Amino acid sequence: MKQYWNRFFLKNGIGISVYLLIAMLVWLGMLIMLPQFFMFDFSFRFNLPPADLGGPKDVYTLSHYKYMAFGSEQATDSYNVVDVWVFVRTILTAMFVTLFDLALCYPIAYYLAHVAIGGWARLMVIALIVPYWVNELLRAFAFKIMLGTTGIINNFLIWLGVIDTPIEFILENYALYAGLGYAFILLMIFPIYNAIESLDRNQIEAARDLGSPWWRIHKRIVIPYAKPGITSGCTMVFMLTAGALAAPQILGGPSSLWFTQIIYQWFNQGNNWQRGSAYAVFLLFSTIVIVLITMKVFKVKLGEVSR
Amino acid sequence: MMGAVTSEKLTRVFTILFVLVFFAYLFGPLIVMGMSAFNTSSFPRISPWDCFTVEWFEVLTNDTDLMTGLRNSITIAIGVVILAIPLGLAGALMLTQVSSRLRPWYYTIVISPILIPGVVLGISTLVFWDRMGRMFNASYESFFYDGIFLTIVGQSTFVAAYAMLIFISRLQRFDAVQEEAALDLGATHVQTFRRILLPFLKPAIGSACVLGFLASFENYNTTIFTIVSKSTLTTVLASKVRYGINPSISALAVIIIALTLIGAVYFEIIKRREERYERDIDKLVKAGSTDRAKKASLLTNPAMLIATVVFIAGLGTVYFAGTIGVDECKAAIAEQKAIETLRKVDEFKKKQMFKKAAPGLETGTGADTPTTTEPETEAKGTEGYQSIFAPTNLEGQVDSDKKE
Amino acid sequence: MSADVQLDNVWIRFGDFVAARDINIHIQEGEFFSFLGSSGCGKTTILRAVSGFSEPSEGRVFIGGKDMAGIGPNKRPTALIFQNLALFPLMKVWENITFSLEVAGVGKAGRKKKADELLELIALSGQGDKLPSELSGGQKQRVAIARALCAEPDVLLLDEPLSALDLKLRQHMRTELRAIQQRVGITFIYITHDQGEALTMSDNVAVMSQGKIEQVADGNTVYDAPETSFVASFVGENNLFEGKVTEISEGYAIVDTPSGSLRARNAKHNGEYQLAVGDDAFVFIRPESLKFVNGATHDNQIGARVKGHEFEGSFWQVFFDVKGARRTVKLSMVNDGGDVGHDDGTDVKLGFSADKAVATPVGELADET
Repeated sequence: MKQYWNRFFLKNGIGISVYLLIAMLVWLGMLIMLPQFFMFDFSFRFNLPPADLGGPKDVYTLSHYKYMAFGSEQATDSYNVVDVWVFVRTILTAMFVTLFDLALCYPIAYYLAHVAIGGWARLMVIALIVPYWVNELLRAFAFKIMLGTTGIINNFLIWLGVIDTPIEFILENYALYAGLGYAFILLMIFPIYNAIESLDRNQIEAARDLGSPWWRIHKRIVIPYAKPGITSGCTMVFMLTAGALAAPQILGGPSSLWFTQIIYQWFNQGNNWQRGSAYAVFLLFSTIVIVLITMKVFKVKLGEVSR
Repeated sequence: MMGAVTSEKLTRVFTILFVLVFFAYLFGPLIVMGMSAFNTSSFPRISPWDCFTVEWFEVLTNDTDLMTGLRNSITIAIGVVILAIPLGLAGALMLTQVSSRLRPWYYTIVISPILIPGVVLGISTLVFWDRMGRMFNASYESFFYDGIFLTIVGQSTFVAAYAMLIFISRLQRFDAVQEEAALDLGATHVQTFRRILLPFLKPAIGSACVLGFLASFENYNTTIFTIVSKSTLTTVLASKVRYGINPSISALAVIIIALTLIGAVYFEIIKRREERYERDIDKLVKAGSTDRAKKASLLTNPAMLIATVVFIAGLGTVYFAGTIGVDECKAAIAEQKAIETLRKVDEFKKKQMFKKAAPGLETGTGADTPTTTEPETEAKGTEGYQSIFAPTNLEGQVDSDKKE
Repeated sequence: MSADVQLDNVWIRFGDFVAARDINIHIQEGEFFSFLGSSGCGKTTILRAVSGFSEPSEGRVFIGGKDMAGIGPNKRPTALIFQNLALFPLMKVWENITFSLEVAGVGKAGRKKKADELLELIALSGQGDKLPSELSGGQKQRVAIARALCAEPDVLLLDEPLSALDLKLRQHMRTELRAIQQRVGITFIYITHDQGEALTMSDNVAVMSQGKIEQVADGNTVYDAPETSFVASFVGENNLFEGKVTEISEGYAIVDTPSGSLRARNAKHNGEYQLAVGDDAFVFIRPESLKFVNGATHDNQIGARVKGHEFEGSFWQVFFDVKGARRTVKLSMVNDGGDVGHDDGTDVKLGFSADKAVATPVGELADET
């Protein structure tokens, strides 16, 4: 062990070694790991006024997690209907959005990687990136403009005569779904594109030569090969959608609620940081667990999912 | 065989349609939003189109909340770059030095800030420094509770990870033997770092700074928690979008898009210049010449000049188009609306008279009911539904900034 | 300033792998010394131990009489020319050359002056402002040498510097390097797998195999009087016979082989004859020392059948099958205008003198590893 330290300092010189060690301590310790531990710890503590903190009342408790599942003691329901339902909706919607993005982006990624030619392909890549230079809030806002009751989509549909009165896209949460589907397209396309691009085109040619229909080519050759990329894209989109805050804030109708919004409320209005932390911890763990389970089910290893 | 040919054509047509629809989905909202920035209508929309104007850009600059937020955003972004780049660089350097057994664990921890929801990063940062503040019995004025400090720290956590990825990629192309050569010639480690490694990393440092600045600037999920009582451009934006919407926000979007496009064009020109320079060098070496390749001056570069002229001309045109004749146009529209209103009131009165005269007769179409000008802020409509959860009340942002 | 280099009982291990075993060498001041061996024999490891990039697991390295233990590469009076040259791509040529002065704190004017001097030495005057990417392979070589010399080392270490060059350039650089060394007068330690380089350029050569030094001597000695079977089979070409020693006398050994009883010089190692009666031995004779028996008497004669012949310009190479010999026997004769004189398939007698033949203990052979 001591030999390792000696070699480290010898290899890098004193100055650089000190810089590396301090930077790692600050980043890994103070910025990444400690805050997570503190938040985790916080989620098990009571919401006490500042005076009582550190005092005898400051003990560990599971009350916040209990509340999340069962609701307050005064409620009539046997479990916390609202919060649990919001959580389930958030997760299900995130999954749905992920699948939607996958269905949308896979063909585009394939087209970009294997069908589009040189200059046209480069143009397409730029065209894909440009929208993402715009802030996510503004992008959500753009959807709000378009899908409002007097927005252009409604006007267009009325003009066409398809409908008589405007569709309440926002109220009915369609705007939110469209906005969420839109938000992370880039993160789905590029991992898949990278994975497919490295596939030898000859394999596809060979399969076509042997008389395989296009859907089988994809099912048996392209998709298995691109699995790491697909998993990577889906993981990122799922986690980002489940943890999204901007789009729900802006596009969510009043009857919709995203789990992250509940967390925000506990911090901002409920003034219960401890409870908010508990909800946050729960969100973190559940999304990680879901991702890991999916990876196990589809037999993808952790090491392959790298950017 | 005929069947196969047409099915191939069908696939081609279908594919192209799909691609077009996809890009319509991608660009549509942005185009609509961009255009709405120039419409005089006080609610952002493009149909019906009233008059072409640039007045919303002025409204934008006069918005003090937004400006304060902008200032904070810039300050924070600079702070994040200063903090995160050295951290990311150290992270990248350490990766090569950690034993191969530890490496996967190390990499997972270091990459985690990118995967963890931004919300969680913000909360954990807030909670951590709050507790630290209590441990040191710090006052509420100290940095432990300062929104700017917390946001810099919180954002740096994941920006450093992005920077690290950039550095790792660049380091892979680094010939480590150079460092040995430098040491062998008598350099100290610090000298080697300064004279050999850093110059090589310069492009990576540049991209990391740009990326870090932009990532910090546009961040919302983490910032909304760490900013506490202050505001950034994004948080102000979010509250504005919830409350009073007017096209000044679209104007902001247009500015952002325009700046990035201009930046991208200039960047591409510079890159082309570099590539041409490299090709010239190769040609000279192959020919065995002792001459040196010339790097074309940036100022006389024709592409650069054309681009700059186009941009300035474009801006000028837009400005003039938006300021000339706007008032007349608005007056004309107002007049039109007034006439329309009068006509509708007239019709309604006529209908009432009809009803009085012949109560049984059904006349007129449903469209006679007088409508006043369309709702100015749609937000009011949706806000009518108050559920017990008082969804996402962001008023804290706009008000508390005024206190500063 | 020049210094001698001494390695005492140096062992270098990486985990379980022994890269260099029991190295004892003394390299004189101002000598051009080569380590010769194929890849993986340990020569690069020794070079790195001398230059300071690795510390020996056992034993000591002395430069100029001083123990180098714990002294880093930037503090040793050595300069290393790397195999891939490692020129600094972002610095100009003159900055590359005077880098050692820069880190020592010499001002720009002084460095420029020194750079001009060295540029003249390597015949690249006026090209100091170029970047390494603008130079050809040979030019880069010379810049690397100038950069190392600018550091005014006591010992210059060269790691297979010519391996990346084409043939003509390599031959030209061989002479140049030797000339530079003699002019500058410092100790050169050169490692290579190319025998031609080692033999033509060096004062002394250390032949290495699998971490061990097989023999240290000047080029002639290594060629004419190899001490081990590895050296005999590695340096140049050698025909091989094997058998048992039946007699020892006055520095010669008589070895009974299936091809006949052969008399050869008894190889010495560390001053002592190695073979005793009853030992298994190899007998080596070089192709150019084999002769067709045409009436003249030879110490040794063997029967052979001509297998084939090749014309190589200045030489004829003739191949034989010899009873009991493991491999094809080869004879080299000077082309004096005529032909070989013996047709393929004929049986002939070949002879060679005992003084030209060497007998060594059975051991490692170069082309079998």
